[in-house]
Amino acid sequence: MKALMSLGALVGAMGLLLLAGMIFDVVPSNTVRLVEGYMPMQMLIEVACYVAGFTGLSFMLSAMGMPMPRFWQGIGFWLFFMLYLKFRVYPPIPFSVRAMYGTVSMVAVFMWISASEEDWKKFKQPIMNVLDAQTGMNKMMRYLYLVLIPILVGGFSYNAMVPKSEEPVELRTVHPAPPASTKVHGKTYVLQTSQSPYRVNPEGKYDQEYSNANIVEQGMGRLMKPNANPWDDKNQGYLKYVREGGEIFFQNCHFCHGDNLNGRGLHAFAFNPIPANFTDPGTIAQLQETFIFWRVSKGGIGLPNEGFPWASVMPPWEQHLTVDEIWKVILFEYWHTGYYPRTWD
Amino acid sequence: MGLVTRKSLFAIMGLCAMVGLLLLPIVMALPSLAIGEEAPAANAEKKEGDKVEKGRDVYYKTEGIVMGAPAPKTVDGPRDYPRYNFESRVLLWFANQQHLYYGSFVLAVPIFCMIIEFMGVVTKDKALAKRYDQLAYDFIKISLTAYSLTAVLGGILIFTFLTLYPAFFGYLSGIFRPVMHIYALMFVAESGTLYIYYYGWDKMKEGFLKWIHLSMSVVLNIIGTLLMFLANSWIGFMMSPAGVDEQGRFLGNIWHVIHTALWNPLNLHRILGNMAFGGGVVAAYAAYKFLASKTDEDRAHYDWMGYIAMALGVAFLIPLPFAGYWLMREVYAYRQQMGITLMGGLLAWLFIIQATMIGILFLSTNYYLWQAMGRMRGAEKYQRYIKYLVFLLACGYMVFITPHTMVMTPAELKAMGGQQHPVLGNYGVMSAKNGGINVIITTTVLSFVWYMRGNKVSTVSWAKFGNIFMGVFFACAYFNIIGLAVYGYYIPANVRVGLSVPQVATTLSCLFFMFALNGVMMKGAKQMGPIEWGKISARSQYALIMLATAFTWMMGLMGYIRSSVRLFWHVNEIMRDNSPWAYTHTVGFAANMISFNVLFFWVSILFVFWLGSLAAKKAPVEAKAGVPGAVPQPAASH
Repeated sequence: MKALMSLGALVGAMGLLLLAGMIFDVVPSNTVRLVEGYMPMQMLIEVACYVAGFTGLSFMLSAMGMPMPRFWQGIGFWLFFMLYLKFRVYPPIPFSVRAMYGTVSMVAVFMWISASEEDWKKFKQPIMNVLDAQTGMNKMMRYLYLVLIPILVGGFSYNAMVPKSEEPVELRTVHPAPPASTKVHGKTYVLQTSQSPYRVNPEGKYDQEYSNANIVEQGMGRLMKPNANPWDDKNQGYLKYVREGGEIFFQNCHFCHGDNLNGRGLHAFAFNPIPANFTDPGTIAQLQETFIFWRVSKGGIGLPNEGFPWASVMPPWEQHLTVDEIWKVILFEYWHTGYYPRTWD
Repeated sequence: MGLVTRKSLFAIMGLCAMVGLLLLPIVMALPSLAIGEEAPAANAEKKEGDKVEKGRDVYYKTEGIVMGAPAPKTVDGPRDYPRYNFESRVLLWFANQQHLYYGSFVLAVPIFCMIIEFMGVVTKDKALAKRYDQLAYDFIKISLTAYSLTAVLGGILIFTFLTLYPAFFGYLSGIFRPVMHIYALMFVAESGTLYIYYYGWDKMKEGFLKWIHLSMSVVLNIIGTLLMFLANSWIGFMMSPAGVDEQGRFLGNIWHVIHTALWNPLNLHRILGNMAFGGGVVAAYAAYKFLASKTDEDRAHYDWMGYIAMALGVAFLIPLPFAGYWLMREVYAYRQQMGITLMGGLLAWLFIIQATMIGILFLSTNYYLWQAMGRMRGAEKYQRYIKYLVFLLACGYMVFITPHTMVMTPAELKAMGGQQHPVLGNYGVMSAKNGGINVIITTTVLSFVWYMRGNKVSTVSWAKFGNIFMGVFFACAYFNIIGLAVYGYYIPANVRVGLSVPQVATTLSCLFFMFALNGVMMKGAKQMGPIEWGKISARSQYALIMLATAFTWMMGLMGYIRSSVRLFWHVNEIMRDNSPWAYTHTVGFAANMISFNVLFFWVSILFVFWLGSLAAKKAPVEAKAGVPGAVPQPAASH
């Protein structure tokens, strides 16, 4: 047990040093890389390791006769978590999300330190000591707080009220609800029921399972399924249309959406926000194919009221592509990213 | 002859009257239904040779003879939208919400009474049985005053509809004419049954008569549930109309109109929601009384009452997210547009607030249980592990509330390099959120298991094996839930949606198997000491109040979300809302309005509680809580 705790303490100490390095910009945040595709779990595992490490540290300090007061354990862990979010995770997390996580972690710390009466008493003790001011030190602290707290509140108020030149926060709706139907090149498509005419098997019949079985195994087209190479001239049906969609994509779309469909094309950074990243599981992977058909056809200018603040410069592609070309390019996007369109069967 | 006492005669008469009241609506409704169905046939005969107009059901796609007028095409003006110098929609919102709060409360409390009364009847400990009986009686007493208020609020709601939205209400009542009559008559049956149930309590308190009394509560709850189903059919129709053609003309099949795409999920969701809400309100009442108590006896009683109400509420809270998930799945399947508006578009932020509220509910529950372990000797051994439960809950909670659409300044957007964050973006989708909520619920189950064995040590010969088995079972459950959440990113969406089933099954397996196994292990267990009712921290009672407030707020929020997803339609895609208030409110306005409704409800329910306390108290129960030996022991009270 002691050995395990020692190991934990070592992990905790190293982790803290690493984080301190990141805070003071001595160690770049990406020294320990967040591995693409594994980042969400990596972040959770890292935090879990820190928790285990702090448990070990606390145990070792107690064993050495220098136990860390519960008050500072609580405050310290919360501060650690806020600093972790700010300096470890990259790209930077927006303040609104950090505020949400900060509130949750504060509640969690409160739940932890007040779960038992004994712990709660230990936590409150330093606060009560300062309020009671029985010693000279505590008396001084109390006066200090008397001065500092109004200054802090005043500072926050000033900061909130002072005019700023920053652009205001926008509650952008990334995926506004589509209309029930859309008219493209004179034909009406009901979004609930329409299907891609090119998601077909070699016999030419609509076949979702067949196309799903032939998408790339790994995102961004890095690993194609055996015998499912769209650039093989002999392929017919779905894979042939994927190839044709790819040609259309690289003639029209990749300038903004990028070679890897990750929204980082040649012109991407001229816009804010940059174009949609199709490799993210929150974009095309969440949507029906007909939704993409509607968005591509109508472009940014065709966004409904719900799409406030309409921050999309995508042209209405129905003015440049045929219906068939739009369906094919969508087919390619799903194939290349390794995602499946949402269906309800 | 000895059996036929005055009391039993009274009971049998009461029961007959109740059954009569129950059947009355059906008998009364038959002619109404018959008229509705015969009229066109007669018409058809009269106009023999004339063309019978047929329409196609917008949902069932069946053909039917047109039997009603089309949905009115309203225009903004005093004819269709008469108004005061105020937003009519807000007035309706207020009336509707208050009626729903009270309606939910009075539907939930009789179910609690039924359960508690049943526990009292079957328990062998006589002192405990009396306490259960007293508790059930106290509950129904509170609900009786609330029942009157529900009816009054229902009246206000109808008048608000009639005076402010006459065209819409006229159309709706034209379609639901027989249903509305049945509803009204069932309300009469509900009232009759409730009064017999309440006033017959003392007359039927023992023996066979007690069982009759108990069975009356079953009948009462069946009527109440059917009432709610009928009311649900109206909102189901407004969201996902069926039984009418594209112009909104009734096609003669009333079952199609009732049984819309969303009716069943709405029914299930509302039953569970009402129960959880009712439990929360009663728990908050007990918490308030606990905090205001002057004596140890009172503190012990209200501590126990709060625990029972919380446990019942949470029992229904645990399956609630799954019912909600089913409802949303059906919404998506019904209209992709509606689903996206709800969870990815205009109303997505309200869903984040909802997730926050759900998290608060579970966190409060866990916190209460940990505090409750403080009143047991022997539970200290679990205290040092609580921090790990906190960690699991916090991680699950943070994933669960991560927004898909983040609020950020353009500068932050630029710094992030796109709308999707490579780490947090993954938490913002359903696969991760399912994992998050299941981790939270499983942890809640674990807290309950710890609480149930807090002051006991198992004496079965296989105790060690049992403990290891339970530990491994929970570890596998977490592994499975998180593993499936990760796997969800690599499979088609339709399969991913199906993954929620094994995740839920895992959580429910923990609930049922671990509770059962724990029960077996703790049978005849060595007691480290009694549960010292009343010796619980004040913080635990604030957690109960937080639980109830979060329930109330969430109900208001979800009602608003469900209603506003129709956007500018009175009846989705059938009858357009042409009033000046057909727009969607801002998140801030909606939040303020919900808060106002919550505040009003709590102020008014305090008044109801106060009224209840004015009534003459029943004779005190002999065995009071806090007296050693008389308090419910853990095995029985769990």
